[in-house]
Amino acid sequence: MLRLRNLKCYYGRIRAINGVTLSVRPGEMVALIGANGAGKSTLLQAVCGLVPHWDGEIRFEKQSLKHFKPQNIVQKGVSLVPEGRLLFPPMSVLENLKLGAYLRYRRREHAAIAEDLESVLTLFPVLRERVKQAAGTLSGGEQQMLAIGRALMARPRLLLLDEPSMGLAPFLVQLILDVLVQLRTRGMTILLVEQNARAALQIADRGYVLENGSVVLEGAAGDLLADQDVKRAYLGKDYREFDEGRG
Amino acid sequence: MALRDPREECLDLEERGQQQLERLQSVLNRAFKNVPFYRNRFQEFSVDQSRIERLEDLATVPFTERVHFSENYPYGLFAVPLRDVVRIHTAPGIYLQPTVSGYTKHDLVVWRELVARSLVAAGLSSVDILQIDLDAGLANWGREYKDGAELIEASVIPLTLLHPEKQLMILRDYRTSTLVTTASAARQLVQGMYRSSLNPNALALKTLILVGEPPDDSVRAQLEEQLHVKTWVHYGLSDVPGPALAFECEVRNGLHVSEDHFFAEVIDSTSGVPVPEGEEGELVLTTLTTRAFPLIRFRTGDRVRLIPGSCPCGRTLRRIHWLHQRTDELMVIRGVKVHQRHALMVMERVLGFVPERQQFFIRRSGMRDYLEIWLQVEERLFSDEIKQMEKVAQRLGMELEQELGVTVRMRFKEAGSFEFSRLEPIRDE
Repeated sequence: MLRLRNLKCYYGRIRAINGVTLSVRPGEMVALIGANGAGKSTLLQAVCGLVPHWDGEIRFEKQSLKHFKPQNIVQKGVSLVPEGRLLFPPMSVLENLKLGAYLRYRRREHAAIAEDLESVLTLFPVLRERVKQAAGTLSGGEQQMLAIGRALMARPRLLLLDEPSMGLAPFLVQLILDVLVQLRTRGMTILLVEQNARAALQIADRGYVLENGSVVLEGAAGDLLADQDVKRAYLGKDYREFDEGRG
Repeated sequence: MALRDPREECLDLEERGQQQLERLQSVLNRAFKNVPFYRNRFQEFSVDQSRIERLEDLATVPFTERVHFSENYPYGLFAVPLRDVVRIHTAPGIYLQPTVSGYTKHDLVVWRELVARSLVAAGLSSVDILQIDLDAGLANWGREYKDGAELIEASVIPLTLLHPEKQLMILRDYRTSTLVTTASAARQLVQGMYRSSLNPNALALKTLILVGEPPDDSVRAQLEEQLHVKTWVHYGLSDVPGPALAFECEVRNGLHVSEDHFFAEVIDSTSGVPVPEGEEGELVLTTLTTRAFPLIRFRTGDRVRLIPGSCPCGRTLRRIHWLHQRTDELMVIRGVKVHQRHALMVMERVLGFVPERQQFFIRRSGMRDYLEIWLQVEERLFSDEIKQMEKVAQRLGMELEQELGVTVRMRFKEAGSFEFSRLEPIRDE
């Protein structure tokens, strides 16, 4: 569904992504893990058309996304849940959700939008309770739910999530992850960027490990979860010397 | 049609290209980051691994050769910390140092799967009894075949070094249905059967998996007729990293390379340039998923030809014809690879000097292949006591057998009795 080949992204002279090739198949959940500054968020932003300078190839459903504006990419079926949620704090929950379907109003998909709104409020019952409340007054977990709900209102076929667990209490992280599993079960294709590598790999099908803008490891999520290098670097195990314990 | 992993084995060609490129870039990044040998080689040849943007670009990356295994003995080519390695294999090298390869837990899972895949393609299932009869030099493969067969829940009789008569007894009494062996050992088995007047109908054997050396069509046909079996050929690397990385399907027109785990190139062995598809050349392999011991453009020395077009079996894994000739000085004796240089170094260790003139022969006694080495008697070797010279020959033979993993016979020849001029070994026809 999504295919990246030799993606290179630049911020001025700095190359943030250094030739990444990766793919997400329909119905799959793929996790992208790596340290701060590895280029994970830049990669998602490039897919969404938010990075002005990039080389290589980004294809969504076999069509190149080169020269497409972010709104056109959303129209094609790609939605991003950005890092830090980026809600509109003074606006109500309902207004934020409706804004997610902004491009669809022009296409007069009113009935379908109402249907999707109902579906989002069923997925996140707490949002139904707070539908008139200002988004800025919600708790962190509720804001994350709203950000995901807003992305879903565009009726994407590919959902990109940037650090959805950031700043959330463990039980809320689990709640968000459960929602992602539900979405995947319903057939949604997901590319998930997470610093909480263990959580991401536990629910994903496959994963890529990004280091300094390059993929250094890829494979089934279960294999990455068991990989000693990944454990040391991203799952909280201390790094030790090359032959420690082996004389 | 038996497939262990239909999704991977029949992957759409475009997806295969994407998968291979993803894995190739990742293994190049890992090798550059974790293995000083590769980092230095890339820098020496001015290769920027981030510029490998197409599979064809791999042709700009320098080769890895067997000599590099010796130069980086023992752990210099490992890409993970030693404590992540759960198995260490040793195989004869081309110098005195053996070739050492390592496996992480994940690597072992991959190998088990690869062997299981190739066994399933040969029709093996949980109802089969699989016997492994390989020489000591292929002991590593014995373990891999055991693990792979156990994965598909076949009953395994693991590799044990037994006299051929005992192997035959087990084959008959345990009702072995599948035998993994070399063509030479299989021929020896047939001879044993004739000697003991054993009718092949008394055996439950139906599948013969031939490894280690490419068998002639005539040898296959003969074995199939004599043993009443169907033969299958598997290709692997006996030094690193394992067996069955290419295997025959029921169509039996070439061997499918497990391209989800290896990238295969065929090159002109003199120029090092890839040859057009369908032309003969040397097989060069790059591992795509190995964690502990990645190999980048490893020159196998095996001569192959890539078969263009698709296979009627439905697998999209490309096929190779495995040809007899080699592109290097390695001799293959009952599947075990022996390098003349290695043999000379062993002789130097035993004698204290390298004999001036020698000739290698790959001989056949009955059905058994062995290595015979003729040495020209020179002053330093000469003794007026025959017993003394016999002792030296015996010691040399024993040391060589231990090092090389094949049967060795030594002969001393007087100067002038033989023209010691050929560098290549002479093989009995």
